[in-house]
Amino acid sequence: MAVIDVKNFAKSFDGKPVHKNVSFQVKEGECLGLLGGSGVGKSVVLRSLIGLEKPDSGEIFIEGEEISNFSEHQLIPIRTKVAYVFQNGALFDSMSVFENLAYPLREHTKLNESEIKNRIHEQLTEFGLEDAEFKSPSQLSGGMQKRVGLARSIIIRPKVVLYDEPTAGLDPYNTVKIQEMILRMKDKGVTSVFVTHDMPSAFNVCDRMVLLLNGAVAAEGTVEELNKDPDGLLQRFVRGERA
Amino acid sequence: MNSYLSFLQVFGGASLLLYQSFHESFRRPLYFKLILEQIYMVGVKSLPLVLITALSTGMVMALQFGLGLEKFGGKLYVPKIVSLSIIREMGPVFTSLMLAARVGAGITSEIGSMMVTQQIDAIRALGTSPIKKIVIPRILACLIALPLLCAFANAIGVYGGMYVGYNDLGLDPQFYMQKVFQTITLADYMSGFGKTFFFALFIAVISCYFGLNIKGGTKGVGTATTKSVVTASIFILVGDYFLTKFFWIIEQWLS
Ligand SMILES: Nc1ncnc2c1ncn2[C@@H]1O[C@H](COP(=O)(O)OP(=O)(O)OP(=O)(O)O)[C@@H](O)[C@H]1O
Ligand SMILES: [Mg+2]
Repeated sequence: MAVIDVKNFAKSFDGKPVHKNVSFQVKEGECLGLLGGSGVGKSVVLRSLIGLEKPDSGEIFIEGEEISNFSEHQLIPIRTKVAYVFQNGALFDSMSVFENLAYPLREHTKLNESEIKNRIHEQLTEFGLEDAEFKSPSQLSGGMQKRVGLARSIIIRPKVVLYDEPTAGLDPYNTVKIQEMILRMKDKGVTSVFVTHDMPSAFNVCDRMVLLLNGAVAAEGTVEELNKDPDGLLQRFVRGERA
Repeated sequence: MNSYLSFLQVFGGASLLLYQSFHESFRRPLYFKLILEQIYMVGVKSLPLVLITALSTGMVMALQFGLGLEKFGGKLYVPKIVSLSIIREMGPVFTSLMLAARVGAGITSEIGSMMVTQQIDAIRALGTSPIKKIVIPRILACLIALPLLCAFANAIGVYGGMYVGYNDLGLDPQFYMQKVFQTITLADYMSGFGKTFFFALFIAVISCYFGLNIKGGTKGVGTATTKSVVTASIFILVGDYFLTKFFWIIEQWLS
């Protein structure tokens, strides 16, 4: 059974259709790359996978449960299982970095204060953010905010992670760090969807890729398949040609 | 027609939000720390503004009535009239209007900014409820703080009247207070005080509603804040008429 199964997903905003018919699956432990031009609706797809956005029609299954008609309350267990890494961090600016990271731990785990502290230190060290612990988000650079947001999403060790352009705007060193982190998560069996415009990263971490175009899936394939067929739609997209 | 529709929209949306908040307040966990924080923000921080408003209202009313009634030799009625209008109307309504401006604007712009920067989405994405984290603490804080602020305002307003009565009208403070206590009944007090619970709901729910339904980025935050204060004030002023009638019927019924 696929961990994520999207069937005939359609969504429009103010009468303007963004998605007409999108279907794809993500298997357990797999990393799926979700590609497509800017504004094609990649973030909308990810948001819909945790119920932040409701589809107009179609179905979304998370581990076999159809979530598109779930209430906010029913979505809570889905959202603890599936983490969404916001494109811009979406940190709580009234809290310090420490408090931002403690938030999901206090809500969803029974860890005591010292365990929370340890977990946060561990996580901050992993992302090279030791010095940021007591700063407020507004004191951080955009790239740092992004990494804190990433840390906050995965700190409760979700089974599925949806990355929304986690490497955009990061320097090469941190881009590699994030790639390594995603690969480490994959080794632990985490399933993921990776939205990106950063092709080297996509080829490094993804098992399979899906290309969105005009509100539907235009091409799909494993990384090997893509490499074999240089004239395919995905390859042309990757090379920057008009699809 | 258009404004009629948008009124219905606000009314419906705010009622729904109130219903959801009520519904969710029975689900664990409730965040007491957030509620206390909001009581501090709403109550303690509004105290100076509310006290100044009440004091000057009481003083000005005593002065106006004192000067006006002096011609007819009615100066001795000042304690009665001033305290009655403060306790029944001016205290509760002015306190609520000040809070609608100060707290209502604050709530709408804060929640609105959180919407624009996706922090409300983050609350949801992290498996928590914005209603519980944001809306319920603000509603409860207003429900607790506004009546208390009104009680302070009533006392200070009456004191302001007494001070002017003594200073400018030559009324003995002891006489003044005696008259006040003779005049004001529990029914008078409660009919004013009781309104503040309704006004608190208007302010909190309307300002949260406008914050959560922001449209159009940062510019939308400004527009929504203005709308929120105007709407809450109108609800207070119009609601005041119906609540006065409502409490009047109850008074009749009880006596
Ligand atoms: N809340 C919303 N209201 C109205 N339109 C929206 C909303 N959210 C998304 N859209 C529209 O949906 C389309 C897709 O947006 P989305 O953010 O998913 O793009 P994206 O593929 O993630 O782009 P990028 O790569 O630039 O992040 C855009 O045209 C956008 O205008
Ligand atoms: Mg996006």
